[in-house]
Amino acid sequence: MKMNKKNITLIALFAALLVPLSCKKNFLTTTNTFQSTPDATFTHSQDVVAMVNGIYDAYQSSDLLKKSIWYYSNFMTHDFFNYGADIVWNNYQLNSLFAQLPVFWLNSYIAVGRANAALVIIADAKAKGVVTAALADRLTGEAYFMRGLTYYYLAGSFGGVPLVLKTGSNGLEPRSSQDDVFKQVVADMKQAETLLVSKTALPATEIGRATKGAAFAYEGAAQMWLKNYTGALAAFNNTELTSNYHLLPNFMDVHEFDHQNSDESIFEIQFDINGSQSWDGGWQDGGEIAWIDDFSWPEEVSGFGYDYANPGLWYSYQAGDLRKQATILGPGDANLSPGIIAKGANGVGGGIKGYPNVVGGYANYLKNPSGDITDRDRYTDGNGNIINTNGTIAHPWFGVSDQKRSGYMAAKKWRDPTLTGATGNPTNIFGSQNQILMRYAEVLLDRAECKIRTGDVAGGLADIALVRNRAWGGTAPAVVQDGLNFDGTPSTPITDPLQIVYSEYRHELTAEYSVMYDLRRAGPGIAAAFIHQCYGTDATTDPQPYPYGPTADGKLHGVWRTALPANRDLLPIPQSAIGLNPNLVQNPGYGN
Amino acid sequence: MKKDVHFNKFISGKKSIMVFLLAMFTCLASFAQTRQITGKVTAADDGLGMAGVSVRVKGTQTGVITDVNGAFKLSAATGATLQFSYIGYLTQEVAVGTGSNYDVKLSPDAKTLVEVNVVAVGYGTQKRTDLTGSISSISAATIAKTPVTSVDQALQGRAAGVQVTNNDGAPGGNISVLIRGVGSLASGGNTPLYIVDGYPIAAGINNINPSDIASIDVLKDASATAIYGIRAANGVVIVTTKRGKKDGVTLEVNAYNAFQSKPKEYKVLNAQQWGTLANQVAAADPQHNFSELANWLDPATLTNADWQNALYRTGLTQNYSIAIRGGNDKLQSASSVGYYDQRGIVLDSYFKRLSAGFNLDYQPVKWLKSASSVKYTYQNQNNPFGTGSLVQATELIPTLDGGNKNTSQIKDAAGNYGFYNPINTYTAKYSNPVYSIESNQYQNISQYFSTNTSLEASIFDGLKIKTNAGINLSTYNGSYFQPEDDRLVNQYGSSAGAVANAFYNQHLQNTFDWLWENTLTYDKTFGKHAINFVGGVSEQDNTFAFMGGSGIPPNGVIRDLSQVTNLKLDTYNYGNGGGPGNGQQIYTLASQFARISYKYDDRYLFTATVRRDGSSKFDVGHQYGVFPTGAVAWKAKQESFLKNVDWLSDLKFRGSYGKVGNQGAIGLYGYQSLYSTVGNLPGGQDNAGYPFGKTSSNGGTYQGGIVSIQPPNPNLRWETDYTTDIGMDASFLHGDLNLTVDWYNRKSQDFLLTLAASPQTSYTQLTSNVGSMDNKGLEVAINYNHSINKDMRFGLALTMATVNNKLTSITSGTTSVNNFGGLTVAGIGWQTFTETHVGQPVGEFYGYKSLGIIQTQAQINALNASAAAKNPANPFYQQSATGPGDRLFADVNGDGQVTPSDQVSLGSPQPKFYGGFNADFSYKAWDFNAYFYGVYGNKILDYQESTLESFQNRSFVGVENVSYDYYVNRWTPSNPSNTYSRATYNDDAVGSNVPSSAWIKNGSFLKLKNFTVGYTIPAELSRKLGISKLRIYGSTQNLFTITKYPGLDPEIGIQGNNATQSGVDNGTYPSSKFYTIGLNVTF
Repeated sequence: MKMNKKNITLIALFAALLVPLSCKKNFLTTTNTFQSTPDATFTHSQDVVAMVNGIYDAYQSSDLLKKSIWYYSNFMTHDFFNYGADIVWNNYQLNSLFAQLPVFWLNSYIAVGRANAALVIIADAKAKGVVTAALADRLTGEAYFMRGLTYYYLAGSFGGVPLVLKTGSNGLEPRSSQDDVFKQVVADMKQAETLLVSKTALPATEIGRATKGAAFAYEGAAQMWLKNYTGALAAFNNTELTSNYHLLPNFMDVHEFDHQNSDESIFEIQFDINGSQSWDGGWQDGGEIAWIDDFSWPEEVSGFGYDYANPGLWYSYQAGDLRKQATILGPGDANLSPGIIAKGANGVGGGIKGYPNVVGGYANYLKNPSGDITDRDRYTDGNGNIINTNGTIAHPWFGVSDQKRSGYMAAKKWRDPTLTGATGNPTNIFGSQNQILMRYAEVLLDRAECKIRTGDVAGGLADIALVRNRAWGGTAPAVVQDGLNFDGTPSTPITDPLQIVYSEYRHELTAEYSVMYDLRRAGPGIAAAFIHQCYGTDATTDPQPYPYGPTADGKLHGVWRTALPANRDLLPIPQSAIGLNPNLVQNPGYGN
Repeated sequence: MKKDVHFNKFISGKKSIMVFLLAMFTCLASFAQTRQITGKVTAADDGLGMAGVSVRVKGTQTGVITDVNGAFKLSAATGATLQFSYIGYLTQEVAVGTGSNYDVKLSPDAKTLVEVNVVAVGYGTQKRTDLTGSISSISAATIAKTPVTSVDQALQGRAAGVQVTNNDGAPGGNISVLIRGVGSLASGGNTPLYIVDGYPIAAGINNINPSDIASIDVLKDASATAIYGIRAANGVVIVTTKRGKKDGVTLEVNAYNAFQSKPKEYKVLNAQQWGTLANQVAAADPQHNFSELANWLDPATLTNADWQNALYRTGLTQNYSIAIRGGNDKLQSASSVGYYDQRGIVLDSYFKRLSAGFNLDYQPVKWLKSASSVKYTYQNQNNPFGTGSLVQATELIPTLDGGNKNTSQIKDAAGNYGFYNPINTYTAKYSNPVYSIESNQYQNISQYFSTNTSLEASIFDGLKIKTNAGINLSTYNGSYFQPEDDRLVNQYGSSAGAVANAFYNQHLQNTFDWLWENTLTYDKTFGKHAINFVGGVSEQDNTFAFMGGSGIPPNGVIRDLSQVTNLKLDTYNYGNGGGPGNGQQIYTLASQFARISYKYDDRYLFTATVRRDGSSKFDVGHQYGVFPTGAVAWKAKQESFLKNVDWLSDLKFRGSYGKVGNQGAIGLYGYQSLYSTVGNLPGGQDNAGYPFGKTSSNGGTYQGGIVSIQPPNPNLRWETDYTTDIGMDASFLHGDLNLTVDWYNRKSQDFLLTLAASPQTSYTQLTSNVGSMDNKGLEVAINYNHSINKDMRFGLALTMATVNNKLTSITSGTTSVNNFGGLTVAGIGWQTFTETHVGQPVGEFYGYKSLGIIQTQAQINALNASAAAKNPANPFYQQSATGPGDRLFADVNGDGQVTPSDQVSLGSPQPKFYGGFNADFSYKAWDFNAYFYGVYGNKILDYQESTLESFQNRSFVGVENVSYDYYVNRWTPSNPSNTYSRATYNDDAVGSNVPSSAWIKNGSFLKLKNFTVGYTIPAELSRKLGISKLRIYGSTQNLFTITKYPGLDPEIGIQGNNATQSGVDNGTYPSSKFYTIGLNVTF
């Protein structure tokens, strides 16, 4: 009976123990305290706006802007070269393993994915009344614009790419044809044209967003890829462009730090001082700052100098063309940027002589003026004064670590007075200067090409004159002619209207995000022929001594004259993308 | 284990009262027939009297314990049988005749040293002879033979089918444990479930003091593991710690000191050789010459910087543990304290562990008992140079001349550290690691506290209920401080860059885990039928919280962590793969389980197990999984036709089939559609917003962004393994020879993987159930133990397993997956080095087929010409810069040029078989143990060698040191090597140094992991010292390795716990020889 009591007690106890464990239904549903679920998001209109902001964010990547689109635009033309690990751009030996291509590809599809997702969210929010119809339209237009923009650069660089137009992609779509992608760009831009607000209606707080004008500019450019020059002209002639955007009177101002989002700019990627200067800060992907501009500065000033210009570009500018010193600095050239003269570096002012390395190098020279040849040659003007130019004719800035730079630098990328490069204390490497992807001068030159191709040569030349007159600060010479050929021989006038357009693309837009796209768009073989014309390209794949000028000392200073091989005007599809999507077929010219 | 005099007196006093009482009852029953019997029990091995031996009259309650001299006294009748038993010795029976004095010699039971007879099977134990599943066991005695740091080390080579690899030799370093091959490709997806004293723990088990372990049972087949359901697919390791015994007290002291020699070093160039090479490279390649430091031009003047010598040192390990275990019929306790302190062989690396354990068993009344365990561990660990960065020690330029103007030494007598020239691009990126290690401050402290208590009641004969509850608490406190470094700027001005600011961070983590389990067991024999049932419910809840912060101190000159006053909280870090920045997350499991075993006539055994597991990792509707298994066994020896076969002592056949789950690889909330204000762009952490409103006069205003970081995946489910196991246990020569053989086939379906996603999905990575995999293998364990005579015994044990692994399908649309993540130190072309194809083993090396070295310009011209003919756009066979002296690769697809599509499989890192061989020999007071571990048939990707044959640093602009062999034998026009390419500052462009067959090496090896000689001092002497046993031993570990592998150590594990990155030698923390002197004392 004692046992019975015990049993009853135990069984009751055990039953009691079992019950709560089996019955607690919610025990397995835990709340996510870190990330947002859809139910917890998109309940306010600013959340929906934030969804669209995220599309723009995909472009705040130096690897995408600088090492992919900028490199393609400028290295492929030989106007600029790479120093360091990426020299395969210089002789067109880039392959599908090149490290930045996956970033280009991936960031692009992330932008596309964010746009596709936003389209769904916006429609839903509009139906629920979370956003007003007007805001929903603007946001929808932005999503279409950003998707179109992304496909524009993808197709421009890779040829046909897979079209992903809905959420939930399995990632296995094959490539569409290049034409089909540009048709999609046209379609997206046309949607955007109807939905976006005009530049004039965009509140000041929203500057940087896509506008109707931007959509027309990209629609026109995409129509040109499709050889629909009439359609392109219609887009370029839309008053959203012609009334709302203007050439700045002074070419130098176009890229000045204090002229960001100017009246000439149609679409530019926005950056802002909002991030740490440390290398592990958010500079690379989506941070508000980027390592784009001082990347190009002379190593003597910034410690970088990872891209540099072709001396032939310097010689090619026609006499009197004010774009020259706003675009390229040769030995002995001062940096004429008003911003750099007034404020650079980092508020010190005075131009090149204000940079910490120049100051320090000159101070070293003063300590030992007779002995310190290195600092004397590098940081004085030869008369014992501190240098205030990009090297000197006698001692070009070929680089500190070796003598493998050309001595010529991109002036368009040397405008941000907040930067010091990898020098000074503190260093300011990562800048906030916006990157202009499309501006009105390009629209005018594009329009000129369309007019010429549709038979209106006079109209085309008139558009070109608008751009050239500004370049001369008044009236440009009627004859279009390079200053000198790359090898210092005299040039001959350019008479073919289309060649004039190509030459103007180069002189107006080099060191920006356009030239190679514009040349490839013109048709097969045109880019290779144009580059050959500019630089006398041949079968060599190694660097060559420069044949003319102060840098022609018989030594190698990182200038290539490799001819652009057939099929190498397209970038290879990144191997990693093919690995993850076996339906992708590599471009011809890059093996199987 | 014989008892000490003083304790024994204390105990035996009480015992004698009990014996007297017992005797009283016995007397009442059969007073007239009994008489006094006396005698002495001695040990057959040393002839000494044995205290504490149980002497019983068989079939009665009568019994006594021998005294300190082995003497006993009890009453027994003529014709009765006396039974003498003592743990570790064979039980002996003696018939009571007419005499009254019976001296008995007990022989040691060889089997108990190698075989554990009772096996933990999860929620209970079973006799080994009654097992139907596949379970390997390791006893305390086996563990004690080798000084091991951790439980997983103790497993290596001891259990068939358990592949244990030291991933590196770092103190407290990480070890990978694979049970029956790779079932998952996911990082961390192959870790077995560890159960410590009934508590399933998620983290590793480094925190357990190995000398506290009573046994380790490794559950391998589905039938054995199914009781753990959704966590069982990778096998289950059950660790049981030592508990107090009912009869007597043991005081155990163990101590050892081990010296660890400096590791083997790579023979790299000294400063003079380096300077010579740099000059030769510059001269041989004017096209791409690099800017040598002026100092290098005269090699004879250079000061040598021997980095390996500076970074390696002699290690010292000290280990002490003391334990007291004992008790009486009602109460048994075991307490232990252990201290382990290892000074590693790499500068400033160490591992310290202080552990304390307390186990208590209490049975106040016959039907009720409780068992409690409390464990606490403090761990302090540091490895500042980091594993994988040791490749640096061989890469660093062997001279600091031209850097610090105050010293060219790594560290001079005045405490100045050298540094590399900060201006020269080719040296500027290097830093002096000795400076970093000695200047920075590191802290990595973990504490573990766990306790659980069970209460078990017998309701009636055979039926018991038990409730078990516990908590497991762990904390981590880590910090890092890097003081300001202004030396470069002071000497070189701003052209040397900026002053390196001080930097600090601190992270705190806290895990609170609770478990509550209730089980009911029924154990009953009805005639020839025996039933054992266990069923129960379990609930576990794990809350993980962490906070951390970092920053640059406001005061730039700060030099000490103590001056840091505030931390800036970490930002959300999801995209960086580092998990969330600050916060907490909860994960829960709710389960029901049952197992029934049925035995008929001690011949036929059946077991059926089922577990229903619910996990919070999955969406509602998909949370529960049911995992059933069944097993049968036939004890053939019990059949009449074998019963009398003398040469066969035992024979059993087993077979099992079942389904188990694996959710280990998946994080929380993998099923939810998630949005975040930070994105998942490549490169990691990024805010998702954008500034708008910027004008010529005003900066913009940042507007937040929201992006999707994870698409919904409601169908996400656990991996399912279907495992078949057929096994046999046989025993011969009267139990001296034991053989266990298992064949298994493990089919892993729906394996989970966080896979690099096709970019078109707009996600960088996605987790899903992506494919299936097969592992098949044969496991053999053979033990032979034999006593030649009373002085001489030996034992041999061999475990061996084969693994045949194959990916059978991928559902993500691809036919292969490549390595996830890269090497710590990579280089151009090194993003992909393994690729796993359907039908092939996991993690096969992948790259170009090397055909030797290009000898002449004519040769490369001809190749380029034929390439140009096939593809005018790319008129180069390899790279444009490829020339004589560069590596020649095969154009596998015949398109005339070498492109990424010419990469092929280069071999598998998975061994054909692996195993351990253990030999014990004892002669009188001496004992010897040798233990070998080996693998056969695997390949190693020798990344380290590829860096040693590279003059250019592949990760950034810079030059690096090379091996002496390469220096001497490299291709030059006058030395037409077909093995070593030319030295050039242009590796990236010529592409010689990419993953290729040149770096694939035979990875088979046989290593003498341990060799021990022990001496137990004579009993007479120890008795004088007041102790019952004192053993002194010396051992050495890693004494030699037989291998063809040319690198330092072929024992190479899995990087980052990721099966797609195994077998890559990239300069992990080296292992080296240990020399240990130790002491075991038992009172």
